[in-house]
Amino acid sequence: MSAVKTSITVNGTQRDLDIDPRLTLVYLLRENLGLTGTHVGCTTGNCGACTVLLDGKTVKSCSIFAADVDGSELVTIEGLSTGARELHPIQQAFVDHQGLQCGFCTPGMVLSALALLEKNPTPSEDDIRHAISGNLCRCTGYQFIVESIQAAAAARA
Amino acid sequence: MSYVGQSMPMMTNARLAAGKGMFVDDVQLPGMTFMAVLRSPYAHARIRGIDVSAAEALRGVLYVATGREIGEQTNPIPETYDTAAVGAKGVSWYALCVDRARFVGEAVAAVVAEDRFTAYEALDLIEVDYEELPAVSDPEQALEPGAPLVEPDWGDNLMASRDIRLGDPDTAFAEADGVVEGVVKSARITGAAIEPRGCVASWDPYKEALTFWDSTQAPHAVRMYLARTLGIADTSIRVIQPHVGGAFGLKLPTFQEEPLCAYLSMKVGRPVKWIETRAENLLVGGHARDTSFRYQAAYKADGELTGIRLDVIADVGAPSALCGWGMSFVTWYCLPCVYKCENSETHLRSVVTNKCPWNAYRGYGKDAASLLMERIMDHIAKATGIDRTEVRFRNFVQPDEFPYPQVSGAMLDSGNYPGALRKVMEMIDYEGFPALQEEARREGRRIGLGIAMELTPEGCSMPGSLMLNGTDSTEVRITPNGNVIVLTGITSPGCGNETGIAQIVADALRCDFSRISVVQGDTETCPWGFGNYSSRSIIIGGSAAQVAGDEIHDKMRQVAANMLEASADDIEVVDEQFVVRGSAGRGGVGFEDVAREVYSNPHGKNMEGIEPMLQSVRQWKMPNVYHQPEKQGRFSAYPSWPYGAAAAIVEVDPESGHVKILRYCLVEDAGTIVNPLLVDANLHGGIAQGIGGAMFEQIAYDESGQPLTATFMDYTLPTAVELPRLEIGHQQTPAPFTPLGTKGVGESGVGGTLGSLCSAIENALPEVDLHLTELPLTPSRIWEAIRNAPVPAGAAA
Repeated sequence: MSAVKTSITVNGTQRDLDIDPRLTLVYLLRENLGLTGTHVGCTTGNCGACTVLLDGKTVKSCSIFAADVDGSELVTIEGLSTGARELHPIQQAFVDHQGLQCGFCTPGMVLSALALLEKNPTPSEDDIRHAISGNLCRCTGYQFIVESIQAAAAARA
Repeated sequence: MSYVGQSMPMMTNARLAAGKGMFVDDVQLPGMTFMAVLRSPYAHARIRGIDVSAAEALRGVLYVATGREIGEQTNPIPETYDTAAVGAKGVSWYALCVDRARFVGEAVAAVVAEDRFTAYEALDLIEVDYEELPAVSDPEQALEPGAPLVEPDWGDNLMASRDIRLGDPDTAFAEADGVVEGVVKSARITGAAIEPRGCVASWDPYKEALTFWDSTQAPHAVRMYLARTLGIADTSIRVIQPHVGGAFGLKLPTFQEEPLCAYLSMKVGRPVKWIETRAENLLVGGHARDTSFRYQAAYKADGELTGIRLDVIADVGAPSALCGWGMSFVTWYCLPCVYKCENSETHLRSVVTNKCPWNAYRGYGKDAASLLMERIMDHIAKATGIDRTEVRFRNFVQPDEFPYPQVSGAMLDSGNYPGALRKVMEMIDYEGFPALQEEARREGRRIGLGIAMELTPEGCSMPGSLMLNGTDSTEVRITPNGNVIVLTGITSPGCGNETGIAQIVADALRCDFSRISVVQGDTETCPWGFGNYSSRSIIIGGSAAQVAGDEIHDKMRQVAANMLEASADDIEVVDEQFVVRGSAGRGGVGFEDVAREVYSNPHGKNMEGIEPMLQSVRQWKMPNVYHQPEKQGRFSAYPSWPYGAAAAIVEVDPESGHVKILRYCLVEDAGTIVNPLLVDANLHGGIAQGIGGAMFEQIAYDESGQPLTATFMDYTLPTAVELPRLEIGHQQTPAPFTPLGTKGVGESGVGGTLGSLCSAIENALPEVDLHLTELPLTPSRIWEAIRNAPVPAGAAA
């Protein structure tokens, strides 16, 4: 396969890449760029563990070819926390309110929450539940996730 | 300051929320290769031959293995639930099918290649000459004479059966005031952890040692089973459990792919990674619960249950080395759950079919038993006209009757069932519901309330099993700097027991929580243990941690006493200061001072007659497990008996069959609670999975054994929109057989959903005589049940 030249900005850093056209975005992030916080749970766009922000909107990176995002700006979970141990307030809310258990769906869940709060800073519980309905969690019953997002919203207000 | 009883978020939260967890697919090694598995497209087929030449010729392919080679070069995968010990039939299951595939997806060949694209491409180049054989996918058909045989050597499709008569059922039925009868079927489901299964095997040919990262619940068991399958010493294998993205029982060993991956790493001399796809996970990752009951229940006019006749058929899929089929026995063993009924006649059959084998799944058959008993209670209530809760109150094992020998051979340890039911009735306002229901009715909305009890025995210990075992170990070490490291034999696939164990150890040592770090899931560093299942981590692992911590604390107290020239009996610890009782604030020696003294002056006067170092590995064995079977083969495998009372309110649209859950309450008794936040977290997860299985999830097959649910579009997990806010109440009856009184909570919450939701939906439509008999309660099933229900005489149509 001949590689496709692709330029993308990932977590603020511009990358010029030669991409195998068979590669989906999630594997580009995980295997070529070493950003393993984005997870693979189904590869059919159902579970949302691979959710990233593409030009500010949530997308399921398992269902997009990497070569198709040329010129775009991507944010992954690694783009939210800086360096040592600092967490984004939404991540911190998940930590404090036990909005996770195994942690596998968490990066996608946090990014969906971020996209929601950017658009709607004062969401209702129903808004939150709909905003994360593309992210499956098998551990938590979503309750503490919803409470974490409520707490994050309250802290931003 | 006591940490036990405090809500503390999991110690792992920050790393996982940052996306810095290390899951098995995140393991990268130099020279990594990728394994892909060719799977049978047939439910039953003889493998006449396999041509791998084209696959081998593909550039980037390093190795292709077939069943013939695996059959010659490896041993069968050891059984994790000893079939012979319980009178069941077993099979020799190899890491690849040797000459016959028995379900769609069974592993037929495997490729190792430089990358995943090449590995999958090579699978398409493998030519398998299959001879399709007749298959059976319905368990009742499988029991018919002349049915296709899943295992021709067996002569029938019966893996195990039990016929047990207890008390005098004939008299009970003859003298009954009435008999209710019915059918309950619960669908085939699976755990569907969001992280699929996976492993990385790295064989070092020079050291002759295997390092094996596995998304598993039981690393020590994996090591032992890999060693036996591969014919190498277990001491030459190191199994590491990275972060596990959910497990729920289904990541208990040993599947075909784990030894297969290890074998192939030994063949190619490079690291091999295998990560399953979601389709593979739903196809072969282990199924559960597929059980049907036909029952008759004899009762007295006052609602007393006096006799049960029961025919249970569990469709355990194809036989394997996995421990899942044992769930069918556990279902029977739990009966009649929280109720008293001395007279019963049970005919239990564990039937094999050409479907994916069962593996353990949260609930482990206990959920199905609770479903059955709660349906019986509701039917007796309906038949007698007595309130549903009142029927239950009349049949409960009473709080002063523990320990209660249940007819199955089980010994219920402790509890207060009426107390839990009363509490959940208060939470949901049972008394006020009829008014609410009437008000909704006036608005044209149909709401119903359901209740159900659940009983969830834990700490499973099976005779003859090197995995399902009632013992475990924990090591506590204090360094010369006064830091504490706890190494456990139990593991956490994301349920937070590391935090609970750290709380227990901090209390035992009377030290600050921040001193403690916990290491789990590494056979090289952790003491022997059986891992995580059956909610055993805090009950058994926590108990081992308690005694190890106590032992070290006793030594530190003695050394501190020597340092203070006092008697150990007079020493107390206040804010990490060992002081003479009553003299807090007036001198003493600190935690770090004592640790340093132990290590730096082992020959000093304060250490005279005291063994050096601050390290302790302690084991815990549940004292109340009884393995000597009595004459009907009954034994008591479960030492701990958590239970709960659930109540649900639903809204039903009779025109579409759609159900919305408006409220869900659970009062749970997990004994002494170590960490209320994490207990609630686990209960939320249990309830959510319970609701999934009750309402949404079903692994479906067609008659020929072809699976119909290969993606999350077909196997539908509940999202945040379908689930209600979950309301949890607690009742704490300490377990008499663990040092802290802990009972386990990991599987609780599942069982109560099934019966309470059936009950609530039926209650929403009192004008139709609705009998829901089959889970999941999908809109089409409910719609159909409404259409088929007889309209009671006198009711308005």
